[in-house]
Amino acid sequence: MVDVSQHELVPDHTVVDDEEIEDVLEEYDIKKTDLPKLQRLDPAAPDEASVGDVVRVTRDSRTTDQAVVYRLVVD
Amino acid sequence: MTRADVSDDVEAVVEDTDLPRRLKDEVYDTVEQRGLTVDEADDVARAVESRYLDTRVDPLDPVGTVSAQSIGEPGTQMTMNTFHYAGVAEIDVTQGLPRLIELVDARKTPDTPMMTVHLDDEYATDREKAHEVVWNIEATRILALGDISTNVADMLVQIDLNDETLMERWPTVSRTEDVADEIAETIESNLGVKTRRSGTVIEFGPEEPSYRDLLQLVEELREIVFKGIEEINRVVIRKEETDDGEEFVLYTEGSAFGDVLGIEGVDASRTTCNNIHEIKSELGIEAARETLINETMHTLEEQGLDDVNIRHLMLVADIMTNRGEIESIGRHGISGNKQSVLARAAFEVTVNHLLDAAIHGEIDALDGVTENVIVGKPIKLGTGDVDLRMGAKQD
Repeated sequence: MVDVSQHELVPDHTVVDDEEIEDVLEEYDIKKTDLPKLQRLDPAAPDEASVGDVVRVTRDSRTTDQAVVYRLVVD
Repeated sequence: MTRADVSDDVEAVVEDTDLPRRLKDEVYDTVEQRGLTVDEADDVARAVESRYLDTRVDPLDPVGTVSAQSIGEPGTQMTMNTFHYAGVAEIDVTQGLPRLIELVDARKTPDTPMMTVHLDDEYATDREKAHEVVWNIEATRILALGDISTNVADMLVQIDLNDETLMERWPTVSRTEDVADEIAETIESNLGVKTRRSGTVIEFGPEEPSYRDLLQLVEELREIVFKGIEEINRVVIRKEETDDGEEFVLYTEGSAFGDVLGIEGVDASRTTCNNIHEIKSELGIEAARETLINETMHTLEEQGLDDVNIRHLMLVADIMTNRGEIESIGRHGISGNKQSVLARAAFEVTVNHLLDAAIHGEIDALDGVTENVIVGKPIKLGTGDVDLRMGAKQD
């Protein structure tokens, strides 16, 4: 089986803890469901991610070196 | 994070600003090069910060509209002709406006699917090894392997396999007879006939003598894929310059991204494909977003329209991948899923939307732009969304 995370197009995906989620939601003044979504069966989703978790995606960005975005895991 | 080349004070000053990492690093470099004092460094950092904040998008700016215009205008200058041999190898790729439309429409399969296959270490430098991978990818059908003749008198199909081709395409098997056996087996399981083999000649015929069945068998025989991946009709091998030397890169006509990633010798960390749906199902939504940006930018660049700011394309890709799956721009995707009835009705198939909304008793909150234009209220963008009121008290 091919390790998806090794591909150069796939950025880092990590599950974040509740505390960090709160910080993020507060910073953007949004609800959790307003976040972009990530399907639970997405090949790049971390194995331990379950529905309702928030995943931090650290991209190599073209405009800043690194861009951090959050996605809510959905079914 | 501490930096060795600047003092703690300078670092504290710069880290205190609202700048992104890259700009902070540039400030550090400048401070070090010019040998600035902490106060001067502070001035520089503040000046950079204020310029940076000025260039940011203002709240309530209609970024979507600006993106639409910024991509739409160059779009008018793009070529209409679909096919062209792209700069890379002799592979036919859809370019220009048709390709751009294909991308934002999120078609299930592009008009001209293709892959760029990078190879692992020794496969990338050795032509023989690279060819091994080529034969594992490119679909090999019977016409490439030998001559077919139909013997109507005896009701037989005869295949005279070409020894050289066999050795070339099955480099790991030493005897041509073994390859011929393998081919005969494939034919038997695919066509449900008994075959006879002598040397590298394979014979078979229909169970009952029937002219039509015989021709039918030949037709089906031509379709059988003996080696490689069915979807891939052609592979072009090219030597390319890299940072450290040269390597062989394969370009394929047709795509089967998932299959190719599993083939030995294929570098599964760099190989890409131009079908965003295949990328999505193999590598996930983030990789699909990245590919969307790359492909749209590449399409524009090819047409000499490289002055479109990448941020517009990033916004489009962000919206298209926002729900964790790829959505098209248009009636069946983003525009069709809008909350507001009036906004949907204004886009396409007006009557259907209004009728459905009436039947279901939908409510329009009049939050968006289109709705407010229709009812003649100020739109909630820019100054339109700011309420100013005179204070009752002075404070």
